[in-house]
Amino acid sequence: MSKSRKAALLSILRYVILIGLGSMVVMPILWMVSTAFKGEAQTYSPKPVWIPDPISLDSFKKFFGIYNFGRMTINSFVTCVGAMIICVAFSCLASYGVTRFRFKGRKTFMNFLLMTQMFPSVMLVVPFYAVLTKLHLTNSLFGLTIVYAATNIAFSTWMMTSYFDTIPIDLDEAARIDGATHFQAFWKVILPLTIPGIAAVAIYVLLNGWNEYMYSSVLINKDAYKTLTVGIVALNSQNQVHWNDMMAASSFSCLPLIILFLFGQKYFIAGMTGGAVKS
Amino acid sequence: MARPAAARKGILNNHVGYGFISPAALAMIILIIYPMLYGFYISFFNTNLVNKWKFVGFKYYLQAFSEPDFYQSILRTFIFMLFVVAGHFFLGFLLSSLLNKKFFGRSFFRVIFTLPWLFPESVIALLFTWIMNPMYGVLNAILKSVGIISSNIGWLGDGKRAFPAVIFVCIWKGYPLVMTMLLSGMQSISADLYEAAELDGASKWQQFLHVTIPGLRPVINTTLILDSVWWFKQYTLVYTMTGGGPGKATDLISLSIYGTAFNDFRFGKAAAWGIIVFIICYLISKIYRGVLKDE
Repeated sequence: MSKSRKAALLSILRYVILIGLGSMVVMPILWMVSTAFKGEAQTYSPKPVWIPDPISLDSFKKFFGIYNFGRMTINSFVTCVGAMIICVAFSCLASYGVTRFRFKGRKTFMNFLLMTQMFPSVMLVVPFYAVLTKLHLTNSLFGLTIVYAATNIAFSTWMMTSYFDTIPIDLDEAARIDGATHFQAFWKVILPLTIPGIAAVAIYVLLNGWNEYMYSSVLINKDAYKTLTVGIVALNSQNQVHWNDMMAASSFSCLPLIILFLFGQKYFIAGMTGGAVKS
Repeated sequence: MARPAAARKGILNNHVGYGFISPAALAMIILIIYPMLYGFYISFFNTNLVNKWKFVGFKYYLQAFSEPDFYQSILRTFIFMLFVVAGHFFLGFLLSSLLNKKFFGRSFFRVIFTLPWLFPESVIALLFTWIMNPMYGVLNAILKSVGIISSNIGWLGDGKRAFPAVIFVCIWKGYPLVMTMLLSGMQSISADLYEAAELDGASKWQQFLHVTIPGLRPVINTTLILDSVWWFKQYTLVYTMTGGGPGKATDLISLSIYGTAFNDFRFGKAAAWGIIVFIICYLISKIYRGVLKDE
């Protein structure tokens, strides 16, 4: 077989595999969106209907109406933005300390960060529940924010450290010679250079917070403080499950993350993979 | 990155570093270490956390190994983890190799294949519960229309099918992370190495074995450890899809622990099981590290 024919065949094979596997990814998602726009009759039609006719917006109207998902969306948003701010601030400080200074316990600290990934979250649920109950922080968005921050700080710091590592230490030296304190060198010189790393950590924490279910379902049982994921799953346990309503809420809940990802894709992927690729 | 020795000198043994790591370190001590130690503490008690605190010592730890609920659940979780991680790496390698070349539509496919990563686990669980619905599910409709099955199948309600069905969904959700990691790793391997291999007459497959795999080793190590541990602890997807059932068919250890704590209110026992799972996860990472280093 000639070389160019072989290349053409390989290229066709690539598209066949990509389109085949790609449709396995896309079809469930399309089915979710399609169901979201259906009325009751078409949702339960024996023959699958891919394009709803007529297109019904009822499920989306109910989202903000009787289901009160507007409130839950705000709750989810507030907690994950809060957790994000804490994680970004703490992980930047810690990464600066770890990459710029040599001190006793530095290695232990880094190892400890990775070790926290071994803690089963379900194992932390019981103590979190016990501790937060004692502090009267269950049924509180503040309590949930703290939990989200706590569970994400370790990996955030790990990601951030690999980013700080790429910034030459000479810059700190120069700032120090010009009379800057350590904190000024960090704040004015180095931090502005780590914006892409910060973007990656921010997306990572927002993603995890927005998607989190277990902690939220245990720590919150008052409707006013429920988060979106818990609200959506609760629809599944009602006597009659309205799949079109549930799929509408599901589609809606995915949108912010997809938009966020499309904008920050480059930074996020670089940040996620930085630590693993270099080490 | 190697730093010049002179630049390094000024920062050696500097205690200012403590100041910078203290917020993160304190937060971790208060919010992770303390709850964990507290969990360790209550694992010695028969307690409902409210009015019953009976000291039982190591009873729950010793009991765990003679209790079928526990060790069967651990075994099930191991099998689950093996299939899920194998699936992630199979798809991860396949897709990252395909996407590592330049071709028309590459960025489009990259975004498509990343999508499952962005969806909440709970949403994916509900979506597939709906797709696999025995009465109205689109999966049955499609399979019937191409003649693979003749009557509706309850995928998640059947003791034999629920476990593979859940594994399938977990592979669907988790492969993008592995794919992205491997892809970044591949892109960091210098093209010169491939050219040199080509000059030496290495086939594509040989290049993959002798250039790609060794170049990817650090990425594979980290990803394998994190992916295994993360999926060993999996809770949300499986809980939402099956609640551990039917019977105990999909009762992973995280679900057992959760049920023991919040359905049976046996918090001490649940905490003890949690500690054992932590030790197992820690051992998994140690074993991987040992094995992968020796090669």
